[in-house]
Amino acid sequence: MNITETSNGGVAVVALEGRLDMLSAPEFRNNRSIIDPEKTVVLDLEKLDFLDTSGLGAIVGASRQKQNLACGIVLSCMNDKVRRVFEITKVQTLFHIFDDTAAAIDFATNRQSAST
Amino acid sequence: MSSIITLTLPGEIMFVRFASQTAASLARLLTDENPPASDGAQFVHDFELAVSEAFTNSVKYTGEHDALQMLTLTFEFQPRQLTVSVRDANPPFSIDRPAPDIEKGQIGGWGLMLISKVMDSVTYRRDGGSNILSMSKAI
Repeated sequence: MNITETSNGGVAVVALEGRLDMLSAPEFRNNRSIIDPEKTVVLDLEKLDFLDTSGLGAIVGASRQKQNLACGIVLSCMNDKVRRVFEITKVQTLFHIFDDTAAAIDFATNRQSAST
Repeated sequence: MSSIITLTLPGEIMFVRFASQTAASLARLLTDENPPASDGAQFVHDFELAVSEAFTNSVKYTGEHDALQMLTLTFEFQPRQLTVSVRDANPPFSIDRPAPDIEKGQIGGWGLMLISKVMDSVTYRRDGGSNILSMSKAI
């Protein structure tokens, strides 16, 4: 799995590419923005080809680590394969989800600003 | 007439992808030969997902009980159906347990639920000291 990280103001945009499963979940969990409980993250899933429930658990776990933030992890650009896993498990109810990353960044930035 | 392929792999994390991507390749071969009425890419992805979940579960429990266990995957090809069985020597389990209710804060334990949703049939049996989880999907 490739992880690309960019900063957009106080929000980190973490883009995942490839497979998020039991094998790659530790790499995701240890990403510096993911592991930082004070960092708001937009998670771009457009190029994530494969997600199973080990990967899903890693995303939910990361979100819980950021539960003290007004906005911990926001999801963007889910493709159909990834969306299906979120919907079957009903995990999509735990997240704010946007079709494009710019809208997700705006939302996260506004939530951050409103809480300070 | 059916054809059977058997694959034996160490029950270790690093082989999860080997198992799931082999499943995807075999499913792709079958759908290339017998184009499905619905979405062939969805068929392949569902099969890959189900094997990833089943193999991952076996590896997780293998780690707790037997670090050296080998896991066996059996793929059975029929003209309009593909079945995969995952055999391990872990303690018995039930596939009838209730799905986690996220509205009640129950997080995790999604693997079997996901398998049951993406496959057409899922059966479990205990054979001697082994678990055999069989998952079928029609084309």
